[in-house]
Amino acid sequence: MSDVYVIGVGMTPFGKHPERNATDLGADAALAAIHDAGIEPRQIEAAYCGHVFQGMAMGQRVLAHIGLAGIPLTNVENVCSSGAVAIREASLAIRAGEHGVVLAFGTEHLTSRFRGALTPDTDDIEAAVGLTMPGIYALRARRYFEDYGVSREQLALVPVKNKRNAALNPFAQFQEPVTVEQVLESRPIAEPLNLLDCSPVTDGAAAAILAGAAAARRLGKHGAIRLAASTLRTGTVDPEPTPMTFEPLTEATAQDAYERAGIAPGDVSLAEVHDCFSIAEALRVEGLGLFPVGEYLTAVERGEASIGGRLPVNPSGGLLGKGHPLGATGVAQVVELVRQLRGEAGERQVEGAKVGLAHCRGGKAAGVEGAACTVQVLVR
Amino acid sequence: MTSARQTLASPSGAVPLRPGLLEVEPDGTGHLLGSRCPSCGACFFPQRHVCSRCLTEELETAPLSQRGTVYTCTVIHQAAPGFEVPYALGYVDLPEGVRVLGQIVGVEPEAVRIGMEVELSLEPFGEDDQGRELIGYRFHPAPEGQP
Repeated sequence: MSDVYVIGVGMTPFGKHPERNATDLGADAALAAIHDAGIEPRQIEAAYCGHVFQGMAMGQRVLAHIGLAGIPLTNVENVCSSGAVAIREASLAIRAGEHGVVLAFGTEHLTSRFRGALTPDTDDIEAAVGLTMPGIYALRARRYFEDYGVSREQLALVPVKNKRNAALNPFAQFQEPVTVEQVLESRPIAEPLNLLDCSPVTDGAAAAILAGAAAARRLGKHGAIRLAASTLRTGTVDPEPTPMTFEPLTEATAQDAYERAGIAPGDVSLAEVHDCFSIAEALRVEGLGLFPVGEYLTAVERGEASIGGRLPVNPSGGLLGKGHPLGATGVAQVVELVRQLRGEAGERQVEGAKVGLAHCRGGKAAGVEGAACTVQVLVR
Repeated sequence: MTSARQTLASPSGAVPLRPGLLEVEPDGTGHLLGSRCPSCGACFFPQRHVCSRCLTEELETAPLSQRGTVYTCTVIHQAAPGFEVPYALGYVDLPEGVRVLGQIVGVEPEAVRIGMEVELSLEPFGEDDQGRELIGYRFHPAPEGQP
């Protein structure tokens, strides 16, 4: 099977774009990635588009704008992992030998499709009795506090860190740092989570061009960043209740990725993880084996997860700071890792970054730990 | 905040909030329904077609206990349309080994605690798009001394 390389990346600024739509955001991101790769659009053989709420033929609408209509395209809906799964599917097509150069992108114009709190699908009994997505994480946060004896103030350090990083990222939705007091005083959404513990409603798109080893050589892309693993799992149905303060789904998906990439958690230089809510960042990095269980918030307090710390987490600003246009999120994580591994991340550069890990996890159904989880490992 | 339980206006014409969710007796009381695996004994909520542990397909419908313990809880301040905020939500562990999410009423939302004993009752939960009364469920603080 061929190795897979990321030879070009691009994204739109994340934020509220009332004058745009998912099609032209997606076209902007795809063109940015094509220009970054320095290739002609016609050299792209296939495309995968991740989105959640953008309706039928989302990807085809983008291709029609960028002179690429006619190639095979697959739309991917896998909740908040949709963009990451678009990258995974592109990499599988390359590994299978079917294609040499593939475009993977994600786009979402969430402000025109959604207001307020997201909920699980209304078919689901938990949504029917009043569960919201912030509610799920609030329930987990309350139990995490109880089990690990951490405080509300310590949890606030996660959005403070991520919005501080976002202020160094010109593509991020939030450009101003916030204080612990501002997090604690923002309005309650689902106790103990407040507004600033929640990722915002965001419009945006991101794209990556993937190439097999032969195609990368042919295009002169020596030294491109290698996609060493791209793994996917779905949540299990457990025959008895399990602790909601740990993520076996994240752990299993990460184990697949570490094995595939031939690395250990200790090899990771930086991580972009699915911090849809403040508590989620702790659950993710502990499930990934990057920090000891129950100790992440203390590590954040000590600066271990900051840029310049032992293992920077979400140097891009993460979902809390950069924004969370659902289908674009998994691709935007890869955009950040590629820029970091190339040494092009400017003020938020993680020095000496060699191995980057991206984690997405989305969705909820009654009795299932989580819907879709992805882990990607990129290596310089 | 009312502590009185709401009663079903017409249990005979009402339908469960979601298919297969519960069974209701003529007097308006009833149970949530889970699935029990006759091979390994595992119990699931909501009902499943296949046992996730041993893959048995012949699962039995199992009425679930009404009394359980709050595993974790929250107070929702921003909800989907149709829900009046704030309200308490909790995951409740039932003796069958299932964890059920539900609203916890009959107590100030802020007063709901992890470890609290609660009891389920079937209650009206609005109407469906054909105007039929929907039967859902809520948890109430359990009377003390009656495990």
